[in-house]
Amino acid sequence: MLEIRDLDAFYGDAQALWNVSLDVHSGETVSIIGTNGAGKTTLVNSIAGIHRSRRGRIAIDGVDVTGVPAHRVCEHGVAIVPEGRRVFPHMSVYDNLCLGAYRAGARPSYRDTLNEVYELFPRLAQRRDQRAGSLSGGEQQMLAIGRAMMARPRLLLLDEPSLGLAPVMVDAVFEAIEAISARDVAVLLVEQDVERALDISSRAYLLAEGRVVAGDTAEALRRSDEVRRSVLGL
Amino acid sequence: MTGRSTESPRAMRTSARDRAGGLRYAVAFVLAIAALATLSLYRETMGFPMFYLVLLTTMLFWVTQATSWNILSGYSGYFSFGQAAYVGVGAYTTAVLYGRHQINFYLTLVVSAALCAVLALAVGALAFRLRSLRGEIFALLTLAVPFILAALARIRPEIDGGQGVVVPIPPFPAELGRFQDFLYLINLLVAGAAVAVAFGMQQSRAGWALAAIRDAEDVAEGLGVATFRYKLQALVTSGVIGGVGGSVFALQIGFVAVESVFNLTIPLFVIVMSVLGGRSHWFGPVIGVAFIVLLQDRLTASGLGDWQLIALGVVLAGLVIIAPDGLYARLRARPVPVLATFALVTAALWIPDLPAEPLDAILAGMLAATAVALWRPRRRGAVPQTRAAETSAAVTDADAGTPAVTAADASAVARPSDAAKPATPATEPGEVLVECRGVARYFGGVRALEDVTLTIREGELVGLVGPNGSGKTTLVGLLSGNLRPTRGSIRVAGHEITGLPPHRVAHVGVARTYQIPRPFASMTVRDNVAMAIMFGRSPEPLAAARRDAQRHLEVVGLDALADVYPSALNLHQRQLLEMARALATDPKLLLLDEALAGLNPAEIDNAVEVLRRIHRSGVTIVIVEHLLRVVNQLATRIIVLDRGTCLADGDPRAVMSDPAVIQAYLGKRAHA
Amino acid sequence: MITLQAALAGALIGGLYALMAAGVSVTWGVLRIINLAHFGMILLSAYLTFQLVTSWGMDPILTLVVTVPGMFVLGGAIQWAYDRLGISELNSLLLSFGLLILMVQAVSIVWSADFQRMHESANPYATGSVTVGGLVFPITTLLAFGFAVSLIAGAHVALQRTFLGRALRACAEDPAVAAAFGIDHRRIGTLLGAAAGATAAVAGMLFALANALTPASAFEWFGTVFAVVILGGIGHLVGTLAAGVLVGMVSGVVSVVLSPAAAPFVLFSAIVLALLLRPQGLFATRGAA
Repeated sequence: MLEIRDLDAFYGDAQALWNVSLDVHSGETVSIIGTNGAGKTTLVNSIAGIHRSRRGRIAIDGVDVTGVPAHRVCEHGVAIVPEGRRVFPHMSVYDNLCLGAYRAGARPSYRDTLNEVYELFPRLAQRRDQRAGSLSGGEQQMLAIGRAMMARPRLLLLDEPSLGLAPVMVDAVFEAIEAISARDVAVLLVEQDVERALDISSRAYLLAEGRVVAGDTAEALRRSDEVRRSVLGL
Repeated sequence: MTGRSTESPRAMRTSARDRAGGLRYAVAFVLAIAALATLSLYRETMGFPMFYLVLLTTMLFWVTQATSWNILSGYSGYFSFGQAAYVGVGAYTTAVLYGRHQINFYLTLVVSAALCAVLALAVGALAFRLRSLRGEIFALLTLAVPFILAALARIRPEIDGGQGVVVPIPPFPAELGRFQDFLYLINLLVAGAAVAVAFGMQQSRAGWALAAIRDAEDVAEGLGVATFRYKLQALVTSGVIGGVGGSVFALQIGFVAVESVFNLTIPLFVIVMSVLGGRSHWFGPVIGVAFIVLLQDRLTASGLGDWQLIALGVVLAGLVIIAPDGLYARLRARPVPVLATFALVTAALWIPDLPAEPLDAILAGMLAATAVALWRPRRRGAVPQTRAAETSAAVTDADAGTPAVTAADASAVARPSDAAKPATPATEPGEVLVECRGVARYFGGVRALEDVTLTIREGELVGLVGPNGSGKTTLVGLLSGNLRPTRGSIRVAGHEITGLPPHRVAHVGVARTYQIPRPFASMTVRDNVAMAIMFGRSPEPLAAARRDAQRHLEVVGLDALADVYPSALNLHQRQLLEMARALATDPKLLLLDEALAGLNPAEIDNAVEVLRRIHRSGVTIVIVEHLLRVVNQLATRIIVLDRGTCLADGDPRAVMSDPAVIQAYLGKRAHA
Repeated sequence: MITLQAALAGALIGGLYALMAAGVSVTWGVLRIINLAHFGMILLSAYLTFQLVTSWGMDPILTLVVTVPGMFVLGGAIQWAYDRLGISELNSLLLSFGLLILMVQAVSIVWSADFQRMHESANPYATGSVTVGGLVFPITTLLAFGFAVSLIAGAHVALQRTFLGRALRACAEDPAVAAAFGIDHRRIGTLLGAAAGATAAVAGMLFALANALTPASAFEWFGTVFAVVILGGIGHLVGTLAAGVLVGMVSGVVSVVLSPAAAPFVLFSAIVLALLLRPQGLFATRGAA
């Protein structure tokens, strides 16, 4: 579904990613774990087309999207839940969700998708006319995920969904992610919370200082000491 | 920073050469004024046509106004659209006081200066106080002021009342010749004074402060530059000059009416002239004025007067697109080709008397020279990739050779151990330096920090770590004065810093670096550091500051690159510059916000070495870092934040094996 | 009574200022570009209306059939050029100022600087009026207000209810994330510029209905329009309408109670104060639209 080969990413003259290669197959949930500054957000933003300064190959369903401009990447079936949620604060919940369905492929069926989202997140239905900026952190996270789902993606990118949330909310968010995965959407999850990430993934990659240092099944990584040492800097 | 314009480094060369050249400039300046004066004093003897004198008078008026604009808007980056306000106030002051009430003409010049100063003070005191005032809002605000004043003049019969005011010719010494000569000479004096002030200001402390404000205002604040004061100073100076120029203008037009002095074309002209010539340098407006006035004159003379404003519009639009920093920068970069073209083309047309009017030849020469100046895009300096290696070598060499270079430190200067070994404190932690009590900071509903209480002692090297979103950068912002605590108090070196503006906190002894380095783009590496010394806790004059800057550059290993501009540095070098600049404020506490982001392993090792040297020189350091392996090596103490509260605090080994810490990083069910 | 008349008439005229301001306000709020050339477009349309009516005998309102598409294209082209050049907010002020000067001069060359006014015989709306109670309302004023309110209301609904409107608002708040969901910044910008151009065409026509034209008119609108933009909140259509009405009313009342020359003085002093005390605008409730 998603194929990345030898990806380098830059911020000006500083290199953030070196030779990153990974795969995500349809229906899978794959995690990217590692400390901050490891390049996880850069990786995800590069896939979504938000981060442009890069070299290498990114292919979605075999189609090379490396040179595709940002606003066309989503048409290939990718949707992102950005780090920090980044909902549109002055727009209503309803507007935020509808915006998610902007792309041509998602717009015709937006009402049906909307109902699916409300089913998954009843809270959002209750607050449909409220300004997104006035929602709590957890609700904003749900909104961001719902917005991404409105695009009817085949690959969902999630960047640190647990960030800044109370544990109860994190539970709810991860349940939602599992429900989405059950609908045959491939999920690429970037997380700081190693435990939870490995719990819901089939495979994972460990990123450190811009490089992939390990890639294995979730089970294997959970047992290995490598993750602990990398994250704690030992 | 959005909203305000920035200048490329080449446009504002303030190298050591300029300083020494100051005297040369003064002499040249006096000679130029004298030469220009003789054109009038000996006009009849030389057979110098009166028409040219009139043209020069117009140029001098605009030089005054454009220079006035440049002192605020060019130097500081705060664009003003309100130049007409000064011209109007100046003109009406003279018109009413002298024209209507026969008060001494020369006295009215003083009164206009005073009135404009008050106006500028009022506008600045209000506008510059507002932290959130964006550059565009300031520009529109300044646009409104002339409208208000114009309306005021129209309403009040004591001022104008809609009739206009006649300004008769004042008495002047008969030796000077005709009225036109007198007008010329007085304009020459005013313009000369304006340019002299602009020149002086640029070289002075205020000029440096304004350049820093233009490049990165909040960084300047953090270094101790009192931005409000300097901006106000520039605004008032601009006003005084503009006002006196306006008074003389009243004399020139003879009849003052609202439309002629509060006209929108005035800010248009000064902006085009300054932008064309080169804002941020005192000579830029002069070039711009010469070009535009000549162009206008020639257009009118050839019957194309209607096209004047079109030409101006095209010039402005074209400039913004092609050469936003103006002609002076291009001239400075390649003086010989440009000047040669000018001389050749002018001579080629003048000598055989091709156009009937020599001015056309001069204009043609200027146009040709401009084309040459704008012709090839400037080549960008290649970012040196191998420099990092040079820098590390410089560090170890300097360290081995001159241990005395590091700042005075009573304790033994320990030779740096292998980078991989954990740090041992050079001195025992001393007095309490930082005290936070019950500090909390909220952003709307988000609780970035909650009830943080901690102390930091002199001599410590504290690693501030924690998962993403734990509040580390917020804490740094609070300690540096960029943020105010929602609750609680912070004391540094015995002073309560809660509520102090950043430049005051800097004077207490706190310095910080930013994750994304923000050097002053228009200054060399050495001057960037010198800025910190000039405005820091123990301010020094420029020359001394530059010498001391060298020392700090040696500590971080950038001394070989001292005369280079920041745009030619790679990321690591720019981070080192950040550190050197922070160090130069002679801080007691140095806050480093992710200073190692984006570096390769060799650069990281180098940076660690530099930090050790800085620490040894007696500076207390708090470093926010994600790279835990680095923090483990470097820090004497680690504080872990999680979700805004302090989770652990103490010896690195102990902290990193604390189950709570491991849980925070890895998740709930991970075990040690 | 006179005061009431002045206040109401002013309020109605304020609608026209709001219409002029709407184009500038929304492009500033969404695209971060201050387009002074907008005034040039209003001026051009006013003169085109005058010319079409005078030379071809068209009904003034019908001239919209020509001017609206024309300004639609021009507005879109200008915006496209800004985007292509990657102009920053402050530079857009300078660049568009240059463009405005060009346009004003071009108008001056073609139509001369003399005042031009549509002849009464050609302009059926010039002299009509409606009387309610003791108050007289010229038809031109009512038309101006009517058009302004309908257009602004329509634009507001479009911004709130359509996908395109949501896209514009999202672009105003977070262009990077908006792009990730398929919103093409350049295309949207061009479309917005074109729409602003269309409103400029209508505003120009309405102005020509009731006023004598001179090239310098463009600069006379400056002050009032920016006053409305800032008071109403940058990017807020409803706020802009409210601000326009308020500004019109205040100008009208001050003209009658003090003197016509006093109006700009009071107005701009109020603007300066408003700007300093409440920079986001009197009527703004945060965020675009």
